[in-house]
Amino acid sequence: TAAAPRPWRLFGAMCLLRLPRITQPLEKEEEEMAALMEQIELEKSHYSDHEIRKLKEEEQLRRRKESMYDDDEAPGKTVIMAQDLEDEWEQKLLRFKAAARITDADKNNNRTSLNRKLDSNLMLLVKQKIGNQDLWLMPQVEWQPGETLRSTAERAMATFLGDHIEAKILGNAPYGIYKYKFPRAIRTEDNVGAKVFFFKAFLQSTDLSQAELKGDYLWVTKDELGDYLKSEYLKKVNRFLLD
Amino acid sequence: MSSKSVSPHALCSFSFSFWLPQMVPFRGSHWQTSLLAFRASLPVRAQPKKKKKVDVKREQAQKDRMKKKIKKLEKAAPEMIPIEDFVTPLKYSDSNRVRSLPALSFEETERRVLLMKKWCSFKQKQDKAEKKAIQTLVEAQQEALKELRLESEELYQAAIRRDEGLFPFERDGPNYTPPLPGYDPPEGKCIDITKVYTQ
Repeated sequence: TAAAPRPWRLFGAMCLLRLPRITQPLEKEEEEMAALMEQIELEKSHYSDHEIRKLKEEEQLRRRKESMYDDDEAPGKTVIMAQDLEDEWEQKLLRFKAAARITDADKNNNRTSLNRKLDSNLMLLVKQKIGNQDLWLMPQVEWQPGETLRSTAERAMATFLGDHIEAKILGNAPYGIYKYKFPRAIRTEDNVGAKVFFFKAFLQSTDLSQAELKGDYLWVTKDELGDYLKSEYLKKVNRFLLD
Repeated sequence: MSSKSVSPHALCSFSFSFWLPQMVPFRGSHWQTSLLAFRASLPVRAQPKKKKKVDVKREQAQKDRMKKKIKKLEKAAPEMIPIEDFVTPLKYSDSNRVRSLPALSFEETERRVLLMKKWCSFKQKQDKAEKKAIQTLVEAQQEALKELRLESEELYQAAIRRDEGLFPFERDGPNYTPPLPGYDPPEGKCIDITKVYTQ
């Protein structure tokens, strides 16, 4: 019995992650703490050169106002006050307009776009035909003898996204496994079920306009996975996904 | 030493006077390179040799003295490099620099203490959640490897092999806003004025 060929078919699946591009918003406690830390730092600090200059100039202005004709500085000399500098810097900051954190894709809820939800991980899901069902899955292909499981996963990625994808695969070992038995109708002695081994990769290339995406695909966050994946599959996938 | 050795030039000159009657074209000394040419340089005989040897000795003595000095300097303990961050420049210890702020009220101190305690428990929960997530990650991987081993040994061996291309892994961290397309950063040059100490 030990020498009999195993009846499980092997599949290699690739979980492609697009890492976050912007920082996540702070929690309430984090914001409160950040404000407190700033206050404490201010209290413990000494005056900087700029602040000393500002205080001196305020002092001078006050003295000049109190004694009306105090002209001990050389008249006609235009002095740049520290306050003017601060105003200038403030203006410069207001003139600069940064890119929006919530993009158009967010507003339209366009789930095929990579520009959505820039502060969380996005996973790739493709629609595949398993048996006679069309299911949303991580891209997977069957393992062929002669290749390692990692190359199977790479082949799966290439099948669905084309060859011009730069992805960093995290190691040779699989991250998770989903085992299922075929329905009784097609189950045979040699073909009990299938084992799908998941590999994780980080997407390096920033835009996929070059990629020939075949079929339906989606980029979803971990919370949205539940909308598309079956419960058993989802349970196994959630175990190796952080965030 | 030089007084004892017989210089070959002396021998040469002696032989010259001895053979003269034969009128053989003979070079007077090796200083005279051709018979017809005049003596190009003064044939200084014993002097340059003495100077050379004395010079060599003096130079060697000088080198030894220098080496001894260098060894003494090296033996001395290396000078400590001052850490710039730990030394506050004197201009910041002036009294006019001290900030004058109103004292904290009792409510404020209470609020701060309570906030610190809330923060402590928040961070502890966060840490525990992270550790739990890592634990599940490791368990999932171990389960996958176990199943793989049941399937085929060679695939398992290929899976547990170390991935050489993975490290060093570099990634630019997330910023506050996404990159602005077509942004032209202002020109500028950063001049580094850190003091570099050598030991």
